Amino acid sequence: MNDELLVVRCQLGEREAFAELVRAWHGPVWTYVRRMLGSADADDVAQEVWLAVVRGLPGLRQPGRFPPWLFSIARRAVTNRLREEYARAEVAGGTERAGSDASDAVVDRAELVAGLAGLPVREREILILFYLQDLSLQTCAEICAIPVGTVKSRLSRGRRMLRDELTQKGYPR
Amino acid sequence: MNPEDMINQISGRLSLRRRVATVVALLGGLAVAAVVGLLWATEPGLPPRTQVAFGAIVVGGLAWAAYGVWVLSRRTPLFALDRVIAAWLALTATGLSAVPVAVVTILRHRTEPVAFVTDAALLVLATINLVRARAHRAALLRRKRELGG
Repeated sequence: MNDELLVVRCQLGEREAFAELVRAWHGPVWTYVRRMLGSADADDVAQEVWLAVVRGLPGLRQPGRFPPWLFSIARRAVTNRLREEYARAEVAGGTERAGSDASDAVVDRAELVAGLAGLPVREREILILFYLQDLSLQTCAEICAIPVGTVKSRLSRGRRMLRDELTQKGYPR
Repeated sequence: MNPEDMINQISGRLSLRRRVATVVALLGGLAVAAVVGLLWATEPGLPPRTQVAFGAIVVGGLAWAAYGVWVLSRRTPLFALDRVIAAWLALTATGLSAVPVAVVTILRHRTEPVAFVTDAALLVLATINLVRARAHRAALLRRKRELGG
């Protein structure tokens, strides 16, 4: 059954359709959240995402555009969590590396996939959405609210940084 | 957390009974506040203690209505079927609150323009709301059939 039909059935109020939607999309959402934040926060944030989906689903005007809408919600939840973590780190007097991305201090503490862990949030996010979630350039652009050209440049930069990161960790080039 | 755990976690938000109960609380609060408020506004020479009691009932009714609005906007939204049920409940509650006002004013052989205009406006709004809710659900059902569901 396609996503649009599932979403329309959800909007009609069919509870079983919502269960099917969760079964189909919980895996990709949870994987995205875990790779962005680490295992410790993945369940909490994934639950926040699904609660936001429940709240927002009746108002979704284009049911066919469900995947980018879902990942936009997931991205917002991840960003909010990173912001909270960063604020806590600042209050606690965390030692951020000079010149690093604002979220790196948080990122360093998270349990992330080996190669992605060292990348700044923006590049990591694009690599996860494009390569691991298999979303198109256009969909990535919609989720991140940036032009397609910016997605391409972040992908390029992300690939380069990931290659450097893996080389530093001793993986062969 | 696997999908089944997640479904269990959020299933409370998807309960039709819970959403309808919230709508009933909202409409009940509004209807009580409207009827008592209209009585208060149109009844001359009420003793102070009665006015205080009416005021407390109106505040209580509005508090229930505010709670219903908060739950529906922040926690448990209305899906298409819920909107139709809620619209019917709203029309029924509006009708039930309009009838006593009309009966009382007719029995007293005097018109209360404020009461009549308010009741008529609320009935029109409730009817428009019902028509829109039914149209929205019909459009979704049409789309569902087009998609082979």
